Amino acid sequence: MTRCIALLLALALRVGAQPVSFDSAIKPVLETTCLKCHGAQAMAGLDLRSREAALKVITPGQAESSRLYKVVAGIEKPAMPMGGTLTAAEIDSIRRWINEGAAWGAITAPVAEKPWTYRRPVAKPGGSIDEFIDAQLTQKGLKVAPKADHQTLIRRIALDLTGLPPEASDFALTYEQAVRKYLASPHYGERWGRHWLDVARYADSNGYEHDFNRPNAWRYRDYVIQAFNSNKPFDRFLHEQIAGDELEPATPETLIATGFLRSYAKVGFREKDNPEFRGEYIDDMIATLGRGVMGLTIQCARCHNHKFDPIAKADYERIKSILWGYVEVDHPLVPAEQAERWRAANDQVDQQLKAVRFELATLEKPYKDQLMPAKLAKFPKHILDAVAVPEEKRTPGQVLLANQVLRTTNVSSAEAAKIMPAAQLAARQQLLDRIAKIEAQRPAPIPVAMGITDGDFRFTPDGPGDEPAPGKGIQRAAMEGSFLHRGAGRYLVPPGEDVPPGFPLALVSKQAPFELPPSHGHTSGRRRALAEWLTSPEHPLTARVFVNRIWHHHFGRGIVASLDNFGKMGEAPTHPELLDWLAVRFVESGWDVKKLHRMILLSDAYQRSSGFDDAGNQMKDAANDYLWRFRAQRLEAEVVRDQILAAAGSLSRALGGPAVFPPLPPESLAQMKNGIWEKQEDGPATWRRSVYVYRKRGLPFPLFEVFDLPDQNITCNRRNTTTVPTQALTLLNNDFVLKQASRLAARISEQTMDPARRVELVYQATVARAPRPTERELALKYLATGELAGLAHVLFNTSEFLYLR
Amino acid sequence: MPSFINRREFLYRTGGGLSGVALSSLLQAENPYAAKAPHFAPRAKAVISLFMSGGVSQVDTFDRKPMLDKYAGQPMTGKGDIVVRQGHPGPLMPSPFTWKRHGQSGLEISELFPQVATHADQLAVIRSVWGKSNDHVQAHYELASGVIRMGYPSMGSWLTYGLGTENQSLPAFVVIYDARGGPFGGPANWTAGYMPAAYQGTVLRSAGDPIVDLHPPAGMSREEQKSRLALLDQLNRLDLERNPGNSELAARISAYELAYRMQGAAPEAVDVNRESEATKKVYGFDDPVTEPFGRQCLMARRLVERGVRFVQLYHGGLGNQNTDTWDAHEDVRSNHFKHAAEVDRPIAGLLKDLESHGLLDSTLVVWHGEFGRMPISQRGLGRDHNPGTMSMWMAGAKVKGGQTIGESDEFGYKAAVQPISVNDLHATILHLTGLDHKRLTYRFQGRDMRLTDVAGELIPQIVA
Repeated sequence: MTRCIALLLALALRVGAQPVSFDSAIKPVLETTCLKCHGAQAMAGLDLRSREAALKVITPGQAESSRLYKVVAGIEKPAMPMGGTLTAAEIDSIRRWINEGAAWGAITAPVAEKPWTYRRPVAKPGGSIDEFIDAQLTQKGLKVAPKADHQTLIRRIALDLTGLPPEASDFALTYEQAVRKYLASPHYGERWGRHWLDVARYADSNGYEHDFNRPNAWRYRDYVIQAFNSNKPFDRFLHEQIAGDELEPATPETLIATGFLRSYAKVGFREKDNPEFRGEYIDDMIATLGRGVMGLTIQCARCHNHKFDPIAKADYERIKSILWGYVEVDHPLVPAEQAERWRAANDQVDQQLKAVRFELATLEKPYKDQLMPAKLAKFPKHILDAVAVPEEKRTPGQVLLANQVLRTTNVSSAEAAKIMPAAQLAARQQLLDRIAKIEAQRPAPIPVAMGITDGDFRFTPDGPGDEPAPGKGIQRAAMEGSFLHRGAGRYLVPPGEDVPPGFPLALVSKQAPFELPPSHGHTSGRRRALAEWLTSPEHPLTARVFVNRIWHHHFGRGIVASLDNFGKMGEAPTHPELLDWLAVRFVESGWDVKKLHRMILLSDAYQRSSGFDDAGNQMKDAANDYLWRFRAQRLEAEVVRDQILAAAGSLSRALGGPAVFPPLPPESLAQMKNGIWEKQEDGPATWRRSVYVYRKRGLPFPLFEVFDLPDQNITCNRRNTTTVPTQALTLLNNDFVLKQASRLAARISEQTMDPARRVELVYQATVARAPRPTERELALKYLATGELAGLAHVLFNTSEFLYLR
Repeated sequence: MPSFINRREFLYRTGGGLSGVALSSLLQAENPYAAKAPHFAPRAKAVISLFMSGGVSQVDTFDRKPMLDKYAGQPMTGKGDIVVRQGHPGPLMPSPFTWKRHGQSGLEISELFPQVATHADQLAVIRSVWGKSNDHVQAHYELASGVIRMGYPSMGSWLTYGLGTENQSLPAFVVIYDARGGPFGGPANWTAGYMPAAYQGTVLRSAGDPIVDLHPPAGMSREEQKSRLALLDQLNRLDLERNPGNSELAARISAYELAYRMQGAAPEAVDVNRESEATKKVYGFDDPVTEPFGRQCLMARRLVERGVRFVQLYHGGLGNQNTDTWDAHEDVRSNHFKHAAEVDRPIAGLLKDLESHGLLDSTLVVWHGEFGRMPISQRGLGRDHNPGTMSMWMAGAKVKGGQTIGESDEFGYKAAVQPISVNDLHATILHLTGLDHKRLTYRFQGRDMRLTDVAGELIPQIVA
């Protein structure tokens, strides 16, 4: 009805032929509809607040060729406005207004400021975490929990910072001393590196059907652990992971870091036949960078403009263009000359082999030919007929059949050998010996890192699993034309679709370069430019997202609970000013991660008791969003296992190196066809920290899986926590758990015969405190008939053991 | 037979400060398996998927193509580039099997399924399901989750998330795979993806303890376990009192109670020896060829009977891909004869037995592979992969039987009339269980994710 009237009005207006007034007909449409996105946010790079800028989509006098008209009239896609249409009268007004010259007036309505997400964080000097927290608590009228006791705090920070229980002597330290000790411990990196490995969707195998082993993936895992341990500034950490091959100088360490982008799940078989996979891998990188670094779901804009956030499909394309030139490469980790020598020696072996193999093939050919008819005999008559018919006389169907059979049937060398006369056989043996001799000269492989660089992926190897040999994958000669940015010769990009690189416009406040080509000229410099931009002080999100991540792991909930989504559909920050304050201080400190930890750990907020409760608080803030008490957190899968090993005294504290394979039950192995699970005995060699347990994409380690190991194939920022009966079954019945309980009991039995003292020691080893009187009584009652191992086992199952408090 | 402690008794007997009632009310919020109301009245309470792993040939089972006889030995033309998975394309190859019409509906089924054919009037055969990948693994993932990539929740996870379960003593989503080994793609087929791991499928074994770590290892007596559990329960209750207002701790106490009950319920649920000889015979226990899959099918019925939502059976396992799965590259005749013989009686037995237990009307049975096979030959005898069209069928849940839905083209190469995507299939299956695929969402990456992404149309002939 309203629409009809509007239409009539429009017709009436047309009859009247009054020029369209900007102020009364156009401005209201702009202000109420268009400027929401195409104002300050300049979505898709369009800002309709001034005529000058609007001329990008308006050709005065020619409505029909103006993009603005075409999209509102639905002539061109995407039809605008998003999620609705203008009235016929409005569309007509726009058409006529453009045709009349698109006269402009002042936009007067206040234009909404960019949402906080896209503004850079600001904070006043001074201040402290507790000021922000306490202000909210007071304002909300929440009662504050008392400080936790010393014993609890020591266990809390030991588990939080190192993922291991405290040692007995740690309780003599002051809280501050303990914080210092654990931050300096090499186990700190194992714990906090693991958090980042979730983001990096790190695994030791490819995934998909073949799930090939990634023999060098662990170097990246160790790099991450080491980065945390050495307190590598976070901006540098990002630079190395995104553009380690483009840095000057690039070092083995920075080359290993490029494993970050390489850690996607990969089909790894017939990749060349399925070029679309590459698009999926780049999409995965964009998801990882978007969610993990920027806290934005940029990959939602792959097929269409983001539905909720100001991220256009074009923004996605621009980021894709940054990554497009990537190729997988196994970076040699030895000096260039040595790598070159290795390559030359290796090539030489190949060359020599080629000649001998040709000789061998020539020698064997007559015998293979002789055996061929017998090989074909297994096929049915219609195939034999097709093969028998001379090539030129075959029917079209016979051509296909003969082709299929002849091109896929081979006689093996061993088969040929069986019918060779003695003389030829001896000649063959000589050739085989020569091959073995040449093969023996092949140089030992050099250490390599699994990473990426720029190149032309058409020239990457195509062997089994398509994994590049060391140094391969870079085809320098082809590179000029294959970088997307190098003018003519851009390949695989349809004309008109060669999108230049760029950053999401909503996040850009100051122009930054899109390319920072390194002097070696081997890469485009686009990833380096991306890393620079991400870590520039102008960037509104990188620092916020990271401090929020750290906060989340300490408190069990981020200031923004959706760690990977700071956009409209994410959760609103509980303490927006604190978030900005932390981000600003963090950048000011030179992205000093350990300093950030210290700041948080020394706050009162972190040191509160978790056992405190208050009915009023429960009414006002049951979820404890405002931190009136410390949030008890179920320990992660890895910590559950590590804690058991540590309590039992079994834990090997060796650092780094190739992954270990704790034995799996045969049922688990039966589920998998491909790839390795090396046979290792359950013992000190596998009693390593969980971060070193082999991560197989196709077969998650059962003990971890049951305690909410995230799917390892996509970036994970916040793990789920569930409480399910299978966790109970595992802790009750699993061989590993029971064995470690026995070991703990044996260890304690050696120390004392006194039952009360034994109970004491079991409690100390597992929950890092002395038993309370009731507990002691219950335990002693159990020990009257039960075994010490049983008591240790029960303690492994208690809630207290499984929670950070 | 272990003595069961019922829930209430367990809660009271073990003492502690909290009453059983207060505790159980604390639990509902934390229990990911709590039964939830569907969006509308369901037709199926449970779903059994019979996954024929490796890829069944449609033109040799449920989609007869006389044109293959007519043009036998000639190249398939007019279909554009033909992409095969292995080697080079061959000429059109007729089905080596004989065909007959069955039942009142006259459904045409090849000689591969004589027993299933006796249920022709209960089968709704779909002849136009197409997929996105001609690789086994990706195609398996698509059937499981709608997506060919790894990392997305499978349909069983969605059902568990959407409906929870009535029987807390058994997992809601159960997987039983072939004794010869797991299916292509392994456990990623029953992953919960980005959802909490609680929703992933639980593998039940057909022999020995059905669930890994269900029982204490040999050497620990039942009494010993009980006394440990009792001590644990007391300690955990003391702990709960000291940490009030934390429902997770209450849920953990309850998880041990459930675990204890599972120790009795799970073995009972899969103990086919409790069935009569007559019933076992229906499933083909009397023949070593049919016994293994018969066992899987009978376990499925027992599970459905006990309130399990989704039972995923796989036939075909990764011992030797060529001989142990339906992947008939070498010789479709011998491969399909072998595998059809393994499943025909068990499947017919399952339909019959579900019916006689009054379960067929509330159970959806879906028979399918991960893709179809080529109408052209591979080296004269075999057939290569073909995601262009496959045949599958549904039965039970009051789905109209004896009908065919959709059509493939004249050679059975691609879906031609009413093409049905995997998203459509998933939408339809969810619908039968009372869930609207557009409303069943899970918030991830700031987006309300769906099993069917942004697609999925109900198959009208199925939901009618």
